[in-house]
Amino acid sequence: MDELTITPGSACQGCGAALAARLAFKALGPNTIRHGVPCCPDSATMTPRGGGGVFEGGGAALTGTWRALKAKGITDVQVVGFFGDGGTYDIGLQGISAAAERNENIWVITKDNEAYMNTGNQRSSSTPLYAMTSTTPVGSVIKGKQTGKKNIPMIFAAHHVPFVATASVGYPEDLIAKIEYGKTLTGFKMLIIQSPCPVGWRYDPAKTIEVARSAVQTGIWPLYEITDGEKFKLTYKPRELKPVTEYYKPQARFRHVTDEQLAGIQEDTTKNWEKLLKSDELGQLLI
Amino acid sequence: MVVGIRIHGRGGQGAVTASRLLATAAYYDGKFSQAIPMYGTERRGAPVTAYVRVDDVRVRERELVHTPEIVMVLDPLLSTRQTMADDMAEGGLLLLNAAYPPEEVKTGGNIRVATVNATNIALETLRRPITNTAILGAFAKAVGWPKLESIEKAIRKQFSGRIADMNVEAIKRSYDECSEVIPAPVKIAGESEAIAVGGYGVLKDVSSWRVFQPVIDMDKCTGCKNCWIYCPETAIKWTDENKPEIEWRKCKGCGICVNECPVGAIEFKRVEIKNE
Ligand SMILES: Cc1ncc(C[n+]2csc(CCOP(=O)(O)OP(=O)(O)O)c2C)c(N)n1
Ligand code: SF4
Ligand code: SF4
Ligand code: SF4
Ligand SMILES: [Mg+2]
Repeated sequence: MDELTITPGSACQGCGAALAARLAFKALGPNTIRHGVPCCPDSATMTPRGGGGVFEGGGAALTGTWRALKAKGITDVQVVGFFGDGGTYDIGLQGISAAAERNENIWVITKDNEAYMNTGNQRSSSTPLYAMTSTTPVGSVIKGKQTGKKNIPMIFAAHHVPFVATASVGYPEDLIAKIEYGKTLTGFKMLIIQSPCPVGWRYDPAKTIEVARSAVQTGIWPLYEITDGEKFKLTYKPRELKPVTEYYKPQARFRHVTDEQLAGIQEDTTKNWEKLLKSDELGQLLI
Repeated sequence: MVVGIRIHGRGGQGAVTASRLLATAAYYDGKFSQAIPMYGTERRGAPVTAYVRVDDVRVRERELVHTPEIVMVLDPLLSTRQTMADDMAEGGLLLLNAAYPPEEVKTGGNIRVATVNATNIALETLRRPITNTAILGAFAKAVGWPKLESIEKAIRKQFSGRIADMNVEAIKRSYDECSEVIPAPVKIAGESEAIAVGGYGVLKDVSSWRVFQPVIDMDKCTGCKNCWIYCPETAIKWTDENKPEIEWRKCKGCGICVNECPVGAIEFKRVEIKNE
């Protein structure tokens, strides 16, 4: 597997999204066309690039590229949108949903850093509960974001597309295996990669992998895959989850979160994990 | 009379915050002031510039400061660049974050120079190389204003609690540890290259971003490949002897490899900056 990122790029030191790009394109291989919408300069790749699109046009650009290739009889190319969470969860959602509903033969891969980082850390619908961002500051009355993270993988599972999965830069083998499996499928494929951002999440850049791993080990960011909108598999199953405080404490974006709030997050996380475990046992997604 | 100040740093060192603190402190001194951040696509590690204007009367100018009376450099490597003194006003003051005395500054020119080891002060007071407050105290000493109390007040407006206390300690130490202000020694070496400002896309060499660098102890290394797989910049190559090798032009000194080595074979060493 060759490295396809052109490095060094201009991402910050310790950027999780730069690593997400490196791992994803390594697995996708050179026979890939990459589309982008505005976002942080994660890492450029040697793959041919679709023009720098607009947020709203992500799904349409991917669709057009795939249809044109198909019309020319070229069907062995991975057509990939590598977007930020702003591009997938928010501004481009309608077009991506439409492409999923038509089951276009494309990938939407999201480097999820849980905010609009390129423009200075504004909240997105992917920003988790209580996180401090520049648009959800910590004041004397309201402290951080007041609503939770949008569950985008489950929204796309409900589109009954061939493949929806979560991944983390802390688990490269899992990430690569999911892309390799997705490459064998025809139709719409989505991969959401949790990609910690030391600048916006406010932790030491050396800890990017540690933070990513702890999101998975605490059940905050479970790793799973859903095929055809119903077959469910947890791809990382610890015997016991670690307490969510291990994930929250090292990140200064959560510095103001109270013990009581943490207890609430713990309860929700455990409940969600039990549901996922049950789905995993059945091999069938329970909603 | 209006005083124009130019501040050089790298993303993450707080040049923009320094400009705001300085302007706020000057205001608390009873002056009129203005802070002008220059925003680009700069990320952590990439060179950043900010400007401040201070006057006894209301500041009406709105453009950048073109011939600064004072230049303050937050980054020790940038400090070695002669280009830092470019376009300075005659008799102006150049204040550098440097581990060496002002006698060794090599800019030449009709300016005055002073140095302070702000990186050391920042590492000891804040435990991270954010040098903005660790140079502001030296600014107050070398320039004669703003008052230390005014800078402290500006810091306490910007930060709270322990963070504010640590930053106040940093300005006090920096005030005490600032060198004498001396006329710039006669220029010794030739003109150095201007530093490339990193924007979008691909850079050639990010060596200058490092404050610390990973040093691998090959005897301890078990060849597990953790450092190789987790480096965002593919700065770690895998050799034929099944060992990691760092490609220095790609390494940003993020410390991920240091943190992820399971046997502690990688040490994070402070980069020594030579004043050449
Ligand atoms: C319609 C539209 N709104 C706003 C912008 C400005 N903009 C450029 S990049 C960006 C942030 C994107 O955030 P995300 O997709 O999460 O990627 P990240 O920067 O976090 O990598 C924004 C808001 C834009 N280009 N187009
Ligand atoms: S702001 Fe965050 S996501 Fe963007 S380049 Fe920097 S570390 Fe990466
Ligand atoms: S310090 Fe960061 S950039 Fe440098 S080799 Fe290690 S992981 Fe790569
Ligand atoms: S992580 Fe440590 S032990 Fe593993 S290959 Fe790198 S230096 Fe060697
Ligand atoms: Mg984002």
